[in-house]
Amino acid sequence: MTHPNPTSGDARDDQTGRFVTQPNGHVRPLSPHISVWRWHITMAASILFRVTIGAMTVAALIALAWLAAAAAGPDAYAGALAFAGSPLGLFIGFGLTVVLFSFILNGARHLINDTGAALTIKPANLLSAIAVWGPIPLAVLFWIALFATGRVSL
Amino acid sequence: MSSPAKFRNRVKISERHGAGEWTIEKLLLAALMPLGLWVASSAVTLAGADYGAVAAWFGNGLNAALAVLAAVAFCGFGALAWKVIVEDYIHRPGNKALLLVVVNILFFALAAASVFFIVRLALGSAPLPAGV
Repeated sequence: MTHPNPTSGDARDDQTGRFVTQPNGHVRPLSPHISVWRWHITMAASILFRVTIGAMTVAALIALAWLAAAAAGPDAYAGALAFAGSPLGLFIGFGLTVVLFSFILNGARHLINDTGAALTIKPANLLSAIAVWGPIPLAVLFWIALFATGRVSL
Repeated sequence: MSSPAKFRNRVKISERHGAGEWTIEKLLLAALMPLGLWVASSAVTLAGADYGAVAAWFGNGLNAALAVLAAVAFCGFGALAWKVIVEDYIHRPGNKALLLVVVNILFFALAAASVFFIVRLALGSAPLPAGV
């Protein structure tokens, strides 16, 4: 029985992983085991860390805009401060704190796992749950503190 | 590339500079943990602060130095982290190489601009655009 290599461009030029080269050199469609999965908190934490790195890049651009406003003098800074105190500015500010705490908690999880520690099921689940859910209460507490001390007001 | 694979503790060690980049990424991430907490505490200090308070805050050399450290460490980490993400999802050599160049230019420019503004604020330089 012969299994000729597919000559169609789809299989040869595949970038999706739907086709694999077998040890005998033949290109075959991948068996559909990859669609059999369920969500794990560890998976969510891993994906969220990548999302967080992207969000931190945006946050760094916002921080750069704030630095630029301060370096551009009192008038420009007053404009930036007025925007930061507006409802949209406060919403973005809340998002920035969620992202920062997510980066710290998820980065700490990643560093701990990188040493080979906490890779068994229970501690891995615990660290992942902290990294996924922790940023939200931390950010809420952060903003409660800002409003309570009068540094920010609506 | 052509030399035989080397092993340590029966784990293959990287043939070129991959392991070094991984180590640098992890050291930068470790440095960003305390720096991130410092950024959060600084945000509490500076929230709602007027121009004079911000200028005085940057006038403190420790604050300016930590701000430069945080900016440079984050940009170094970000460039390496985005490199990993690009290499995971982009497999066409041309697109991948182009994206990696864009990532490196973006993070280098981000770090350079951040340090430029922080140094000007720390020195109490005239507001930009200077000399107009």
